[in-house]
Amino acid sequence: MLMLFHRFIGLLLVLIPLAALAGASEDDPWVLLEKAGQAAHKLNYKGVFVYQSGRVVSSMQITHMNFANGEFARLISLDGAPREVLRQGNDMVIYNPRNEKVMIEKRRVQSAFPAVLPGLPDMLRASYQVRMAGQERVGGRDGMIVHLEPRDNFRYGYRFSVDREFGLLLKSVMLNERNDAIEQVAFNQLALMNAQDINWFRPQVTPGKTYVMQPEETVTPSMVEGDGWSLSQLPPGFRKVDQVKRNVPGKSAPVHHLVFSDGLASVSLFIETLDKTTPPKLGSVTQGATNVYAGAVDGHQIIVVGEVPEVTVRQIANAVSFRK
Amino acid sequence: MKDQISALMDDELDVESSPHLLKALEHDGGLRECWSTYHLIGDAMRGSMHLSPGLHARLMQQLEAEPTVLAPRRKTVMKPSFLMSAAASVAAVLFVGWMVLQQQVQSPAQEISAATIAQSNVSPESVNAYLLAHHELSPESGMQTAYYARPVAYTENGN
Repeated sequence: MLMLFHRFIGLLLVLIPLAALAGASEDDPWVLLEKAGQAAHKLNYKGVFVYQSGRVVSSMQITHMNFANGEFARLISLDGAPREVLRQGNDMVIYNPRNEKVMIEKRRVQSAFPAVLPGLPDMLRASYQVRMAGQERVGGRDGMIVHLEPRDNFRYGYRFSVDREFGLLLKSVMLNERNDAIEQVAFNQLALMNAQDINWFRPQVTPGKTYVMQPEETVTPSMVEGDGWSLSQLPPGFRKVDQVKRNVPGKSAPVHHLVFSDGLASVSLFIETLDKTTPPKLGSVTQGATNVYAGAVDGHQIIVVGEVPEVTVRQIANAVSFRK
Repeated sequence: MKDQISALMDDELDVESSPHLLKALEHDGGLRECWSTYHLIGDAMRGSMHLSPGLHARLMQQLEAEPTVLAPRRKTVMKPSFLMSAAASVAAVLFVGWMVLQQQVQSPAQEISAATIAQSNVSPESVNAYLLAHHELSPESGMQTAYYARPVAYTENGN
């Protein structure tokens, strides 16, 4: 009984501030989105979401808990290979079965569905127009639709559905210039949890399989412009938000990795020295909403990756120049 | 038994009070493998899960301290067929390797549209590492799920 009471109080403590926020902000889409970002981190929930892009459809089960000492999430792919991801804060470990082995990979991650966090509203306002666009039912829950329309053709549009009661993001759709959906993530099942145990936070171990740790890339922050290269004009609205050096297993020289963002869409620029034996990658490829552009300049390989139109990755690639 | 090993690692069970587990670990190769798998997983999640410090060392000490049975072992004689079977394995490995290579040569082409073939040597698989690195540092995009969902296809195709 006492236990039940504690749970009830715990749930109240979580729900009261969110409810207060919801009351104040039903008509301000920016606040609604901000609230969705907070809810994704703060609430305890369990659900199944479906990711769709072109012909790729994939379901994941997510269990998320905000515990005293941090945020925990476990994701299990329900289609195809039984991949599993355990995430604590920004660290994640991926278990990837491959034939007789299970590969263990460690990665960092910024934010993942349903956490969508427009961190810099000023930047966003400069690049997108926002409006409330009605309601829809997603995964059996009532959602309010927030539509972000790009102000130019250097970025895609977004349509978010936010749960009226929980404040969580229920659905996120990326739209191209013709307003066609090019990528979509949506819950088709979602429930809040009020349990306090963390026993689910461990991978399922398959007996008889060998577990192998994959070699890790070391990532070090770097603030310098780089080995003789500089950047000229970026597409409007994009700002550099991160810059690191990656030491990739199997590569002799480090890879420079720069990240640009307009507050929502982000683009990565990779610069590395070409060695004489490997031919450079050249050209472009589109996968779902992701565009990749590869070019070679003055003995360097340049690769740009982003969930943005092709013109944007191309312009960022062309912004790199080398001092002679 | 495996649940108990897991519990032992999580320090829910006391090493000293689980002699049967120690015995089992000592004699059962499968269980020993299970023990090291749990440890590898523990290592991977270090900082995420709270492993008790020194448990591994304590357990290994216990294993060392166990008396070893000193009995003469029958010498194994290398059979003449050993070389033959080794050669056969090498051939098998080469064959499988060749098959894999063939598949790798063929598979990316199916993914690329006609337009990209004309001007590009870039396939989603060939830039997989960059896509992963991109998702690792991309802030604030609701599409980061792609990070979980997409690589399924990548890794199944090798990489």
